[in-house]
Amino acid sequence: MANFKENIKRINSSESISGRMPDYDAIVVGAGNAGSAAAITMASKGLNVLLVDRADPPGAKNLSGGVLWGNDLAEILPKWQTEAPLERFIDNKKIGFLTEKSSIVIDFKTEFFRDNKIAHSVLRAKFDPWMAKKAKEAGALVIPGITVESLAIEDRTVVGIKESGDTITANVVLLAEGVNPRLSIEAGLRKPLQDRELSVGVKEVIKLSAQKIEDRFNLTKESGMASEYIVGSLGNLNIGAFFYTNKESISLGIVSPMEELRRNGVTHTYDLIEKFKSHPSIAPLIEGGTTIEYGAHLIPEGGIDSVPQLYGNGYMLLGDAAGLAFSNGLVLQGMNYAIVSGIKAGEAVAEAKARNDFTAKSLAVYEQKLGSTYALKDLKTFKDIRKVTNNPKMYTVYPQLLEGILLETLWERGQPKKKTRDVIGEAASKLSVGKVKALTDLYGIYRRM
Amino acid sequence: MLKIAVMIKQVPDSQDITIDPVTKTLNRSQARNVVNPPDVNALEAALLLKDKEGGEITVITMGPPMADVALLECMGRGADKGILVTDRFFAGADTWPTSYTLASTADYLGGFDIIFCGEETTDSSTGHVGPGIAEFLGYQQATYVNKVEYEEPFFIAERDIEGATETLRIGKPAVVTITLNANAPRNPTLKKKIEAYKKGITIVANKDLKLDPACIGLKGSPTIVKDMKTVADPVKTPVKPGIEELDKVISVLVERGIVK
Amino acid sequence: MIDIKEKLGTIKYDVDKEYPHITVDDAICAKCPHHFCVMACPAQCYTLQNGKLLFNYEDCVECGTCSVACDQGSVTWHYPKAGKGVVYKQG
Repeated sequence: MANFKENIKRINSSESISGRMPDYDAIVVGAGNAGSAAAITMASKGLNVLLVDRADPPGAKNLSGGVLWGNDLAEILPKWQTEAPLERFIDNKKIGFLTEKSSIVIDFKTEFFRDNKIAHSVLRAKFDPWMAKKAKEAGALVIPGITVESLAIEDRTVVGIKESGDTITANVVLLAEGVNPRLSIEAGLRKPLQDRELSVGVKEVIKLSAQKIEDRFNLTKESGMASEYIVGSLGNLNIGAFFYTNKESISLGIVSPMEELRRNGVTHTYDLIEKFKSHPSIAPLIEGGTTIEYGAHLIPEGGIDSVPQLYGNGYMLLGDAAGLAFSNGLVLQGMNYAIVSGIKAGEAVAEAKARNDFTAKSLAVYEQKLGSTYALKDLKTFKDIRKVTNNPKMYTVYPQLLEGILLETLWERGQPKKKTRDVIGEAASKLSVGKVKALTDLYGIYRRM
Repeated sequence: MLKIAVMIKQVPDSQDITIDPVTKTLNRSQARNVVNPPDVNALEAALLLKDKEGGEITVITMGPPMADVALLECMGRGADKGILVTDRFFAGADTWPTSYTLASTADYLGGFDIIFCGEETTDSSTGHVGPGIAEFLGYQQATYVNKVEYEEPFFIAERDIEGATETLRIGKPAVVTITLNANAPRNPTLKKKIEAYKKGITIVANKDLKLDPACIGLKGSPTIVKDMKTVADPVKTPVKPGIEELDKVISVLVERGIVK
Repeated sequence: MIDIKEKLGTIKYDVDKEYPHITVDDAICAKCPHHFCVMACPAQCYTLQNGKLLFNYEDCVECGTCSVACDQGSVTWHYPKAGKGVVYKQG
């Protein structure tokens, strides 16, 4: 936190705001899932809350792959399943590898998902304004269309926010400003973003009739499918991809680690999504569809190592701004992590207010609360997951190995059949990967996943 | 201290309006509502006048209850008060009862030294309402104005006419309609927005104005839409400048020293 | 294959003509060894024209990729003001 201290020394506030009653108990910057969840939590407890978002309507600049797990949302908005603008509930989850010519997919369709309908595809430009509206109904003052310029800092304490020469003060500022948290970075509350903690997400929403979607993916009127792929069909570029069904559209996209893009250095991110769309197993699924919106967003994938100090005097970091997102190659989640961090931060502020103490020591309860949830636990459990998701063999060698094995076992070519053991051996030697090395590597993956 | 009003309308963002390929009607269900763009210029002209001369700006709109955000937006930019003229009796009005109702509202609020309007709305493009308000109130008027200054007891209005600028001197009270892009509107600020949301807006209904129901809303509207015809899509020119054409353009610009 | 320009056409923008929220330093870009921004930017805001880097902010989707991609200190990055910039309808 040396950086933070230096920064505070550099900030000379012209007029002292200390001694004055703050305008709000809490100011929340950013009306995404984390910010709105925090505002709802605090306003429901009677706190005086200001929620500011740079988009109008609030949330209209937000973008995500689009599957929301609603366990935490149910805590603050119990009627979310009937009230929120949701797309389809997911009862079919697919995970798989794409090689140049094949797709190898596990197709998991389960009544377990169907029973509680806890996973839904959502479109953020519709969902987020609803959540902000809920914050307003809970009693927060929601101001859209304003970009906060900087934090007001006095005596090593965040005391408010600044915009157009005005300072609005609060006991606590909750920074839920998203994956590219300019205020937090500029105030030295967290380090500048680095390649290794980021992926570039590029997405398209493709319009397709409900009928076509239901027929094509074997869905009912309300059910949906969510798939995630490891794409090994792009030469030396190792990326992931996703494909989700909405009511009358498909959300699909690619997730390219910044390190991969830089190492490769010759491929446009916007071309990668086209390559994914034209894969022989994907193209027929979107046949006849029209792209109605293109978009891109950074994705925090740094794991626990990228989670900064979560709180300090007069501030907390939430959601993506705190690097709270989870990815292990099979699962990519952020919205639920954002919501749980919003709820816990909100609870922490309420407790701090009861103590009338908003120092780091008092706000530390946020980290304790978050630490008892899956959010921080998951990131700690999977602390070495990047060694798996960064392992180039995951994208090329192993999918090809699997493809080779499946071809040998499932493809009748009128030739004598081989024992599986020999098939694996031959496939491995073709890919010039030593059996022992591969086994050690796979064991490493198994241990970290 | 000038008493200034700005008449605005909440309209669907024209960028969001699509044409239904089957029925050929406008689909505005997905559209975000915004302040009619020339009205934002009208507000800025009013704010510039207030900056110089002092005064109080009241923003007035007639519309459904959800139009309150349009008023709050204008207050976020610096207007002092917001008046929402809303009542089921006012619904379905064409430009005649709209002008009448807004003029009556201005009168109800004690009249103004100057009323600013946008030149026209993007969702109906008649340009009737500003002049209509002036006529009902018996105010002086100037239309398609870019800039307004005050030289007591007159307003000096500048309007662009082809190849020249015309300067008008008009008496007080007056109505001016402001052209789109007449000025660069200032942004709302957080502090002003907070104040606006806290202060809220005032609602004016027909129980306040006491207008004859036969003269307002749909009943008071002489316009009847007899028929609507759709026009065939214009043939799209398939010319799409490629990167080669762009290269040519750039080399010409460089040659002429326009870009380095 | 759909052209990126066509895809950018599906996005709604409220461009702030007065305020470019991102700026680049031409002198630094001229010496850049990699121009990784050109590859990384998903909105084709960065292009190379006869070896010279051209930048436009109008198509920017405010993702922040270039702020990380540029390791030469050329990119000055801010969010647009007053709700201007990208307005997603789907998200």
